[in-house]
Amino acid sequence: MQDTTADDPDALVRALAQKTALLHEVDHRVKNNLQLVSSLLLLQARRAVDPAVRDALRSAQARINAVAIVHRRLFQEEDALQFDVAAFLEDMVEDAIGGSGRTDLHARLDLEPAELPAFQAAPLALLVGELLGNCVRHAFPDDRGGVITVTLVREGDQLRIEIADNGVGVATTGANPGAGQTIVKLLCDQLRADCQVADAHPGVQTILRLPLSGAR
Amino acid sequence: MDNADEDSLNVLIVEDEVLLAMELSHLIEEAGCRDVGHAMSSDDALDMAARLKPDLALVDVHLQDGPTGIEVARHISIDRGVVALFMTANVRRLPDDFAGACGVIGKPYSEHGVRSALRFLDHCIRDGHAPGLPPAGLQLAPAWAAHWGLNDLPRTA
Repeated sequence: MQDTTADDPDALVRALAQKTALLHEVDHRVKNNLQLVSSLLLLQARRAVDPAVRDALRSAQARINAVAIVHRRLFQEEDALQFDVAAFLEDMVEDAIGGSGRTDLHARLDLEPAELPAFQAAPLALLVGELLGNCVRHAFPDDRGGVITVTLVREGDQLRIEIADNGVGVATTGANPGAGQTIVKLLCDQLRADCQVADAHPGVQTILRLPLSGAR
Repeated sequence: MDNADEDSLNVLIVEDEVLLAMELSHLIEEAGCRDVGHAMSSDDALDMAARLKPDLALVDVHLQDGPTGIEVARHISIDRGVVALFMTANVRRLPDDFAGACGVIGKPYSEHGVRSALRFLDHCIRDGHAPGLPPAGLQLAPAWAAHWGLNDLPRTA
């Protein structure tokens, strides 16, 4: 069987077309299932009476959404093995600020073109999602407006992603030692990233440094 | 939350996954539009488009009777004058002319993405021209982008 296929160019072309169709089918199902999971959590959140339950379901949905953004991007590009970090950060920021319903929050983006291997996309999305979520939820209480600045720079064999706000500062942002902080710490370990949080007067500045060579 | 009133945009949902349709219905109301009905197959969609005369139809490509959403969009936009918008995980498989539809939102979409797209299309349909560039996540068909006064848009999503 193997030999016949190898010797017959038509059979090779057919086999390749079959594999490609299969890949598209899997991609299609992954995207639809992510949509279903996300919509289910939203529906459940809408029905929740207890505000704490609603918040928990909402944050679970936000995390699923971060993974969804990655998948929407991945197969839209020609190269499904690399992903465009700048385009993805734009989507994440747009969703984090727009999704909060706050019209008094604005984004400033300064993004150099950069790519990472696709297998790092989901963990990076979750990590950035937590950091942006913290900014939106904690840095600007009591209708205090402000700016979230996101910077992406290549520094030698590292990527530096900086997320800064001009909000109320460290003391109030660190108040929630919940799942979010654990997720940030674990994902930094997984990505071999270094995460530094500093008081930026005003606000908080978080700097992520990721090796470009690809952690595993 | 905006409330739908008499002048609200009437929106038909064409989607075979009932839970997605239910959540879409909430998003439609939150964007200040009105959900007028929900079709799961191409026959239902054509029938409801003729009966309910919606301003906008959100159309999934895969319906209960197969990948018939593209023909649904072509039929209701060309014969019925309904603005169709695809919502699909298969953005790259849409025909170049978008089958007459005004654009596409790729799945998995975010709630914010859908609400912003609906508000944007509400302006476009009401005023006959776009209020600005389309929001992230909404990719317009070239013909409709030109129709609403947006020329030379790059084809990205």
